[in-house]
Amino acid sequence: MATGSSSRAELAAALHRLRSTLARAKAELDLAGPDGELVDRLRGDLSEALELLGQVESTALRIVPVLVLDDDERLGELTARGLRRLGFDAESAAVMRKLRAGEVVVFDLGLLGDLGPSDRAFLAGSRPIVVTGAADPASRAIAEELGASDYLVKPVEIAVLAAAIQRRVELKL
Amino acid sequence: MTAKLLVVDDEPRTAELTAEVLRRAGYSVDVAGSGTEALERVRAGSPDLMLLDYEMPDMEAPEVLDSLRSGAERIPFPVIILTGARHSPADQVVGIERGATDYIVKGTDRQVMLARVRGVLRERAANFGAVMRGRLHVDATRGEASLGGRPLKLERRPMLMLQVLASRSPEVVLRAELLERVWGSTYMGFEHSVEQAVHQVRRELREPGWIETVRGIGYRLIVQG
Repeated sequence: MATGSSSRAELAAALHRLRSTLARAKAELDLAGPDGELVDRLRGDLSEALELLGQVESTALRIVPVLVLDDDERLGELTARGLRRLGFDAESAAVMRKLRAGEVVVFDLGLLGDLGPSDRAFLAGSRPIVVTGAADPASRAIAEELGASDYLVKPVEIAVLAAAIQRRVELKL
Repeated sequence: MTAKLLVVDDEPRTAELTAEVLRRAGYSVDVAGSGTEALERVRAGSPDLMLLDYEMPDMEAPEVLDSLRSGAERIPFPVIILTGARHSPADQVVGIERGATDYIVKGTDRQVMLARVRGVLRERAANFGAVMRGRLHVDATRGEASLGGRPLKLERRPMLMLQVLASRSPEVVLRAELLERVWGSTYMGFEHSVEQAVHQVRRELREPGWIETVRGIGYRLIVQG
């Protein structure tokens, strides 16, 4: 529908301007000194505004947030960077953290030993995409136990990982 | 050595703010106010990293990237794109085919921005210039390597890997680091290829001992007399 896509473009452009303005204000405050109560409050408000804007963007523009969990921080960041270049809002971490709304988790099985029981349950609830170095029945069983929406064996091409993420989003698994 | 960064943004205040954060982190930072100016600066001397605003009135980031890659001076340094527009994969973000290394969304936390800048610069440091280690000579940029004057026939990636190992010798280089530096961002967990490349390099060196496997961790190059 033509009107739909043009209003989407307008919305995207307006959000873009809003983000640039807020980002600039935040940068001004970040560099402003000396710190005072007012500056701190404003900084807090601006961070919150940017976070809220992020939520609006995510919903309106169907942005896909992704968390890459890997015990190897460099490798995790490399994967996240590859996903960012494909348009995903990807971050990497070596420990479980609170998930953003609708965030898809890519979980490297190498991190399994670091997970406590509550982390494990939390992860299973997120229906992660599990990546493993070994295609053995044992790791497949663990992946199933973790409620994996997909199970990929390394080496994983970023495009293949991206497709798995899209599947996970579209099927709302 | 202080890394030289070039910040490109058509909004002077935004450019200055970005530059200031980077300066406070210890980088030497130059600012260009347009795509055209950025290209002029680059011709006068390459920065170690460019931070490029995606949307500028005279030319958008993809055009700047195209110009950097065309002609004799193909893009010789990494470029991080700064953008105020967030995307979904459906938007077909341009940049990857044109050589952008990473993206940073404006308003991103300073710490995150600095971490990404550091990451990209670290990667660059190892892939640069010729390296001599004893009788071994590697210059991956020119595609040349030799051992005691005998040329080594190596494909691009094994050669680049040899260069990374040589430049860090006798330190152990992590497998993950080799992946990042040699295979770039296209693959996740390409362990098997690292092994193959090591195998190729060892075979071509024809002398044992140069490349030591540190099981489960990575590899290191040890100079043989």
